[in-house]
Amino acid sequence: MTVQESSEITPERQPPGRTLVFMPAFNEEFTVAEVVRSVRAELPAVDVLVIDDGSSDGTAHVARRAGARVASLPFNQGLGAALHTGYLVALRGGYDYCAHLDADGQHPVGELRRLLATVWEERCDLALGSRYHPDGTPPAGGYQPTLARRIGISLFRRLLTLTCGTSFTDTTSGLRAANRRAIALFAHRYQPDFGELESLQRSVREGLRIMEVPVRMLPRIAGSSKITAPHFVFKGLLVVFVGALRRAEHQERPC
Amino acid sequence: MLAAVSQTSVHLTLQSRVLAALLGLGFTIAILELIRRHKLQERYTALWLLVGIGLVLCAVFPQLLAVAADALGVRDTNVALFAVLIGGLVLVVLHLTVVVSKQSEQITRLAQELAIARAEPPPAVEEEELAAPQPRVGIMP
Repeated sequence: MTVQESSEITPERQPPGRTLVFMPAFNEEFTVAEVVRSVRAELPAVDVLVIDDGSSDGTAHVARRAGARVASLPFNQGLGAALHTGYLVALRGGYDYCAHLDADGQHPVGELRRLLATVWEERCDLALGSRYHPDGTPPAGGYQPTLARRIGISLFRRLLTLTCGTSFTDTTSGLRAANRRAIALFAHRYQPDFGELESLQRSVREGLRIMEVPVRMLPRIAGSSKITAPHFVFKGLLVVFVGALRRAEHQERPC
Repeated sequence: MLAAVSQTSVHLTLQSRVLAALLGLGFTIAILELIRRHKLQERYTALWLLVGIGLVLCAVFPQLLAVAADALGVRDTNVALFAVLIGGLVLVVLHLTVVVSKQSEQITRLAQELAIARAEPPPAVEEEELAAPQPRVGIMP
């Protein structure tokens, strides 16, 4: 389940198929351009898409100027809907691989490349960037979540382990890479609330090969986390509980 | 508080309690099943689940209703039961009305976005057509 330095891809090497890197962005005008530029510099062969989730600031404009294709949702639809949009673009655009990362600059692009390498090499259908993987050694100055967040994250991790029978160290990370099979699954449906949990449950249920890759996270440059509110936990529990009652649909059909 | 509770007597028969408990339980299960089948989104179910679970709780612990009856200033737990249920329903309906209002606004906006995206540029006018006098139909001089 672990990938270390073995999957180093040299920048000159071309990915084995068309790849889309997308990032959901809600009012991230201070960071999105830098993230777009670093993705384009590190991975010149991939297409970069920013999903502007109804931002009220200059996110779309700044992202476009940095060289990204921008899909603007007319109103804020939440992270799940934004990611769903990305997977739909990947499916409709005939991309073989896709990956997404946060637009706030928390994910180093080098880590994104390692994640993509695992799907490029067909070692898994879905690669998850894990911040809490035991094999990952967070360097000083890395990402340090608050206590409340740590409790929440560990709660959902345990629940998912309980209901899926598979253990994950990080279920809410916004860093993922997917191949065509996972793209089709997520483009078909991606839940607006807690889509990251539900999509993971569904991936396990549908028998995707999932791999966790330890990643290093940077502290947030600007903006604030959207995960707060007490009813957050209630809804999350509901999603995981009901998700555990679902059966596999085994749909491979493109939509 | 205990004195207050003892003033209001619990007027629920065992039959109505069992009925209410089964109703609440069936309701809660129905909601969960609808979510499982992707017919309901989790974000709209919190209030419904509260109503269902509240009904079960009231049936199992009628003392809760006695407390509610006392707080409402009514003597009868049956009245309190109805008051609690109607209160819950009003909340759900209000919530749904807020959602519907927001959605109708968003649908209008989506239609506008689509119309703008589909708006075709005016057809390129040929040189000869430009030279010839254009017939004016329906345009005020």
